[in-house]
Formats: sequence, structure tokens, C-alpha cells
Amino acid sequence: MAGQALGQGLRPVKEVFEQVGVMVILTVRTLLAAVRSPYPYGEELVWQFLFVLRLSWFPLIVSTFALNFGAPGLQAAGILSLFGALDRLGGFFVVIAIRWIGPLVTAVVVAGVAGTAITADLGARKIREELDALQVLGVDPVKNLVVPRFLALMIVTALLDIFAIVMGLTAGIAAELLYHQPLGGFFATLFSNATITDLWASVMMCTMFGAIVAVVCSYKGMSASGGAAGVGRAVNQAVVISLVAVFFFQFVVSSVILATNPELQAVR
Amino acid sequence: MKGMIPWLEVPRNWLDAFGEIGRFGLRVAGQVFSGRVFKFFGESLRQAGILVFGSALIIWAFVFILGLQCGLQGAYFNRSIGAPSLAGVFSAYCDLREGLPYAFGYILAAKVGTGIVAEIGAMRISDEIDALEVMGIQPITFLCATRLLGAWIAIPFLYLIGIGLIYAASYLSVVQQVGDVSSGGYLLIFWMYQSPPDLIFSLIKGMVMATVIVLVGCYYGYTASGGPIGVGTATAKSMVFNVVAVHIIGMLGTVIFWGANPRAPIGG
Repeated sequence: MAGQALGQGLRPVKEVFEQVGVMVILTVRTLLAAVRSPYPYGEELVWQFLFVLRLSWFPLIVSTFALNFGAPGLQAAGILSLFGALDRLGGFFVVIAIRWIGPLVTAVVVAGVAGTAITADLGARKIREELDALQVLGVDPVKNLVVPRFLALMIVTALLDIFAIVMGLTAGIAAELLYHQPLGGFFATLFSNATITDLWASVMMCTMFGAIVAVVCSYKGMSASGGAAGVGRAVNQAVVISLVAVFFFQFVVSSVILATNPELQAVR
Repeated sequence: MKGMIPWLEVPRNWLDAFGEIGRFGLRVAGQVFSGRVFKFFGESLRQAGILVFGSALIIWAFVFILGLQCGLQGAYFNRSIGAPSLAGVFSAYCDLREGLPYAFGYILAAKVGTGIVAEIGAMRISDEIDALEVMGIQPITFLCATRLLGAWIAIPFLYLIGIGLIYAASYLSVVQQVGDVSSGGYLLIFWMYQSPPDLIFSLIKGMVMATVIVLVGCYYGYTASGGPIGVGTATAKSMVFNVVAVHIIGMLGTVIFWGANPRAPIGG
């Protein structure tokens, strides 16, 4: 009786572990399919890349500018202006725009815009039994559908991260100009604080986010079931899981990078 | 005309959706404010219950992870300017003013917003909404206004508990994980840099986001069309709109509440 109750209570935990396991298996299968010949996914890869870029560029630009202008821009400029130290905003933007918000907003936008589109697309194919038909025809859905999306999302997130950083710094400049501050100090502290480690860590992190979003959203789309409500529910679960996974992953990775690179902590 | 400049399709569609959602949202809010929704007060309470039991845990987990990240970045940033004991300033601003509303908005859009689209969209596809109309029940009142009222009942409490969790998370990462500052020194600065009005402003920001997310979810669900695939597409579209809306609301909130006055306990 007690064991049964415990089993009932632990069922969600078990489901979580099962899902994570299946997603890891899908990741490995995707990686293997990506490197093994033949390579039939070239055209689809280009198409997916352009598709994701076309969907994401506008939300990304608006979101990064808004977030960086409000959160680090105005809040930090407000308190720095009390010290008369508005030129330090540049150093602050290294932390915020490059290390943290650039990858984070890129991941949120890509998960919300491209990830949901991927899940809806693959889920619709699953519901219409197109995936089963592909398998019957001898076409591997992982190689032909998941791999191009996986690679395209990894490339796009790395690219969009650069745009996010540029827009973030633009927002910082806007905040400086709002406070009638010459921009020399901003750029001086920005470039003396920024390191190459910051940049590659940001881009690398973002590439990983793209991989996570692609695997989660492809998995949820390919395992959609249950008619009309099923695809919608798959999109819902896919975006929740991607966001939580991305945020958790970012915390772990930035803990490791910050703790193991002393040049990021030097006083400048 | 359509498809003349494909790259501008996204902003144009977005502007289009903005107007439609504004009109729809005013109609739903009108149903709540005119008191017509209280005919279905039981349904509103049920929706509030679903929100608490279905989404609270995931919302809090997400908020907790962002709190860890806030503390981590703040601790390392303050170390790099040579003032590690002032990490509390960063955490206080990051947690209450910016981090929590954004984290709340993201996860609400992902979990609650897309969930509503999937649910109402499935009802629309299987003609249940038409059936409601035939039975003489206003579908907008019964489906959308009750969800809005339910969100208004439940979400303030979820938000306030989220504040407690995000504070605990920042404390953990600043004092326990990085450990540059003692517990007392951190908490002294941390509590000094916030005040009750900040809490109210933060809550207003979060509630505006929640309202917009619920209304957007209702709109896309209510107007879903095109079979099971249509529900998935509508769910994806709602997420795109919500991501941008959350950022814009966050920026406007910061400009309105803290733009002119940083509300810090220092300076003249």
C-alpha cells in the first residue's frame, strides 16, 4: 500500500528521467547521422537556416534592444549616475550583454519562434502519418528531418548571438545618450573589460542552446499524438522544456567559465 | 502585394496581430469588468486552480534558476570592479526589478500562454465553441473571460512566492557558491537597496505581462483554424507574439517606474 503510494508519487520523477534519456538518445543518433555518409540533408539545411533566420530576426532585434535598454541600461545608469561614474557602464555591459543576456535572449527567441515552428511542423507530419510513410519508403526521419534542423539551429543561434550582442551594446549606447554622456568612457571601459574568453564563451554557449532547443523541439514534434489537441500540447511542452533546460544549462556553464577563468575576474 | 518583401513579412504580420489582439483583449476585459463573468465564477475558480496545480511548480523552478544566475553574475561582476561586498546591490536590482518579471513572463508565456492556445484551439477545431454558442452560452465569456479572471486571482500569489524563491536563490549563489561576502554583509546591502514601492512596481509589471499573455493565448486559440495543424501553428504564433510583448512591457515598465528615479538609498 505504502509502496504503491510512493510509486504514484514518484511517477512524475520517473517520467522526467525517461524523457531526458530519450532526448539524449536522440541527440546521439542525430550526431551519428550527421557525420555518417551519405549526406542528403544539404538542401534542407540551407532552407531551414533561412527559414529560422527569417522568422527570428525581428523578434530578436526588438527583444534584445528592449531588454538591454531597460534592465542593465536604465537601472545601472540610474545608480551609476548617482556616483558620477556613468563611464563604467561599458564594463557593466560586458557582463550583462555578452556573458548573460545575449545568449539568454537568443535562446528564448529561438525557442519561442523557431522551436515552436519546428515542433508544429514535425507534429503535423506525425499526425498525418507522414513520418511513418517516410520510414516505409526507407528514408530515415532523423537523418533527413532532425539533422538539418539541428545543424541549422546551431549555426543560427551562434549568428544571432552576435546580433544580440551588437543590439545590446546599441541599447547601452542609447542609455548613455539618454543621460547626455559622451561615449568615450563607455567604449574605453567596454574594451578594457571585454576579453576574448567572454566572446567565445558566449558564442559557444549559444551554439549549445541551439542544439538543446533543436533536439527537444524535434523530439516533442516527432512524438506528438492525440489529434487536434496533441500538436498544440506538444508545442506547449517543447517550449517549456527547452526554456528550463536552457536556463539550467546556462547557469552551469557560466558557473564553470567564471570560476575557471581568472582573467574574467581581474579588476580593471 | 503579398510576398513583395518576404523579409518584412514578420514585422508586418506582427503589427497586424497587434491590432486584432488589442480589439479582442478589450472585449474580454470588458466581459470581466462589466461583471458578466461572475455568472461563471465557479469556472473562474477552476481555472485559477488549474493554474496553481498545473503550472506553479514549473514557474517557481524557472524563477529559482534565474535567481541563481542573478547572484552568480552579480558576484563576479562586483569582484571585477573590486567591490565584492556590494554584490547585494546587483542582486536586489536584478531579482526584484528585472529578473523576476522577465522570468515570470517567459515561463508564463511558455507554460500558460501556449497551454491556453492548445486547449481553446482544440475546442475550436472540434466545433465545441460553436456548440457552446448554440447552447446559448457566450463562448468569449465562458472560455476567455473566466481564464483572465482566474489568472488575476491566482497569479499575484504565485508572483509573491516567486519573489521569496528568487531571493533565496540569489542568496545561495552569492553567499554559499561564490562566497566573497558574509551572510550579514550581503543581506544588509540587499535589503537596503529595495523598498515596498519597488515590490508594488514589480508586481504591476508582472501582472501586466500575465494579462497580455492570457489574452494573447485566448486570441490565438479562439481564432485557430485549419485542422490539427492549425492548432500547432497558432500555438507557435502566440509564443512569438508573447516573447516580443514581454520584452516591450518589461522595458516600458522600467522606463515608467525607475527611468527618472533610480530609487537608491544613496546620493542627494
